[in-house]
Amino acid sequence: MLNGGSTSHGDTMTAPGTKPAPLAGSASTAPALRRRLPLVEWAVFGAFAVLPFLLADFLTVFASRLMILALLAISFDLVYGFAGIMSFGQALFFGAAGYSVALLARDLGVSSVLVVLPAALGVGLVLSWLVSSFLLLGRHPPSVTFVALGTLTAAFAAEELARSWYYLGGQNGIPGVPQLTLGHFEFSDLAFYYLVFALFAAVYLLCRALVRSQFGLALAGIRDQEQRLGFFGYRIDTFKTIIFTIAGAIAGLAGGLYAYHEGFVWPSMMGVVLSTQIVLYCLFGGVGTLIGAVLGVIAIESATYALSEQLPTIWPVVLGIILLVVILFRPTGLIGLVVSERERTGDFGRPGPGAPRGTSSDAA
Amino acid sequence: MATAFNALFEILSFTSIMVLVVLGLGIIASMMGIFNFAHGEFVLLGAYFTWLGHAYGLPVWLAMAFAPVAVGVIGLALERLVIRRFYDRPVMAMLGTYALAVVIRETVRGLIGGLYLNVPAPLVGSVTVDGMEFAQWRLAIIAITLLVIFGSWALLAMTSFGLRVRASLENPALARASGISTKAIYAITFTFGAALAGLAGALVVPIFSLFADLGLRFLIQGFLGVMLGGAGSFVGPILGAGVVGSASAALPWVISPVVADVAVFVAAIGLMKLLPNGMLAGRRV
Repeated sequence: MLNGGSTSHGDTMTAPGTKPAPLAGSASTAPALRRRLPLVEWAVFGAFAVLPFLLADFLTVFASRLMILALLAISFDLVYGFAGIMSFGQALFFGAAGYSVALLARDLGVSSVLVVLPAALGVGLVLSWLVSSFLLLGRHPPSVTFVALGTLTAAFAAEELARSWYYLGGQNGIPGVPQLTLGHFEFSDLAFYYLVFALFAAVYLLCRALVRSQFGLALAGIRDQEQRLGFFGYRIDTFKTIIFTIAGAIAGLAGGLYAYHEGFVWPSMMGVVLSTQIVLYCLFGGVGTLIGAVLGVIAIESATYALSEQLPTIWPVVLGIILLVVILFRPTGLIGLVVSERERTGDFGRPGPGAPRGTSSDAA
Repeated sequence: MATAFNALFEILSFTSIMVLVVLGLGIIASMMGIFNFAHGEFVLLGAYFTWLGHAYGLPVWLAMAFAPVAVGVIGLALERLVIRRFYDRPVMAMLGTYALAVVIRETVRGLIGGLYLNVPAPLVGSVTVDGMEFAQWRLAIIAITLLVIFGSWALLAMTSFGLRVRASLENPALARASGISTKAIYAITFTFGAALAGLAGALVVPIFSLFADLGLRFLIQGFLGVMLGGAGSFVGPILGAGVVGSASAALPWVISPVVADVAVFVAAIGLMKLLPNGMLAGRRV
């Protein structure tokens, strides 16, 4: 019934001329609007595709960590950048899925990629569906603060639980997660890297298609003008729940991969600190573009990698100051340096009949 | 019987601390409509300044009196520099104050290292009533909290300054039109809220000792208290803090502490779902 509601709304929105059909129209206006976003995307993915041949082995390992965290950042960007839901607990789904696959490996000895990845995805999906249907659905539309606080509290509580639950290894977490396998094949460094790369690319493409679909446009509408979309008859809560659940599944997938990347899981994987770290990635890179979140992960993690050893005590302070400065003075983030405001918030190269879009300053 | 009274006393003293924390948070949330994620770090700063004063040889009670002033000054500076840009942008305010919180927490962590530092209580020993022992310092905390609540209430309800504060809260545009500088009122209120957090930090440091993550759990419990009681009134957040504080102090006597924490969080979020405007919805006090 929920899906029925959303598709019918999606259909009613397909006003004549809004369909992707007038590609010819967009081609005629194209010279005026050179799109840079795809260039950035190609650059990032091209770089990740060839990196293992250029870098030392340990940096390849680091690069696969970047891609996993980028998946996590994308999941936050989906909920915040595209639907305006402030989730301060995205790490909850990440960590819970990580713990699940670690338990699978420890107690059942299962490390097959065919089981592990669907399990991680499923845990993220179910958990985020539970959280979002509790926080977002209901008689009273939830306030922004309530959702932020609810997700924050959930992550905090989960971390506390994991910290003191003997079965989950308490403070130390669960060590000794083996390597992913497929039959007798083990995903060691390079194979694991390309597995992560393939998943990263696939998820990115799916998300890219999703946010450019009618569903994504409705989400952007909700982000910018929630009340108006409500008056149009969109079921805002349902839309938000769907995107939150999808994002949770992606976060879960990332968490499963991360457990196998690190070889162990520990309580802070689902805690508040990581959750807010994700927010930092996205804001720094630029919200609402997907690739911005990826750039944020690359920039911040690389800087942390390079600097945190020289400046172990100062670096977290510097990160906080960066976050503050970005919020105050550069709300569009890194991506705003290369991509115009119109393209960043805009119609993704599909200029519709109602040419200029409204501002989205508050959500961005 | 004696243990029951002692338990009750423990619960009461912890609830007083929560109320002190939430009072500042609630005042800021009600006035400016922003949830100050740096509030827990103001508590931490209060504890830190108390420790610092003590380490430099001040008597503890003097260090405790100095801490809220110092935190208030920092709060004022932050309000002027940063916070005022976030009024009526609640999401940005959350992120911005969170960033502030990171800066403050990590700075304190850098200053004290990963240590747990102890500060002695200014009042040591206990009062014995009818064979039951009550720690003097906890008694003092309860007394100070009651004084602060009464003082803030009197300030808001009985002075002309309080009238202007309430006017700016009810209807900022009309308040400005009547010649009230809402900007100044906001700055003063934020300073006051920060100073209250600093006081709370100063008072709890003998009990909890000083460590960098002191603020976080106060922050979450404080938020739950404010949301539960309902921002926008004076009594609401206090009531919410009373409920959250006493529940999270009472439950560990029955079930294991961690489960108790989680249970309180879940129950508070659940209650909020049922009462989105707070427990005092519609009855503005």
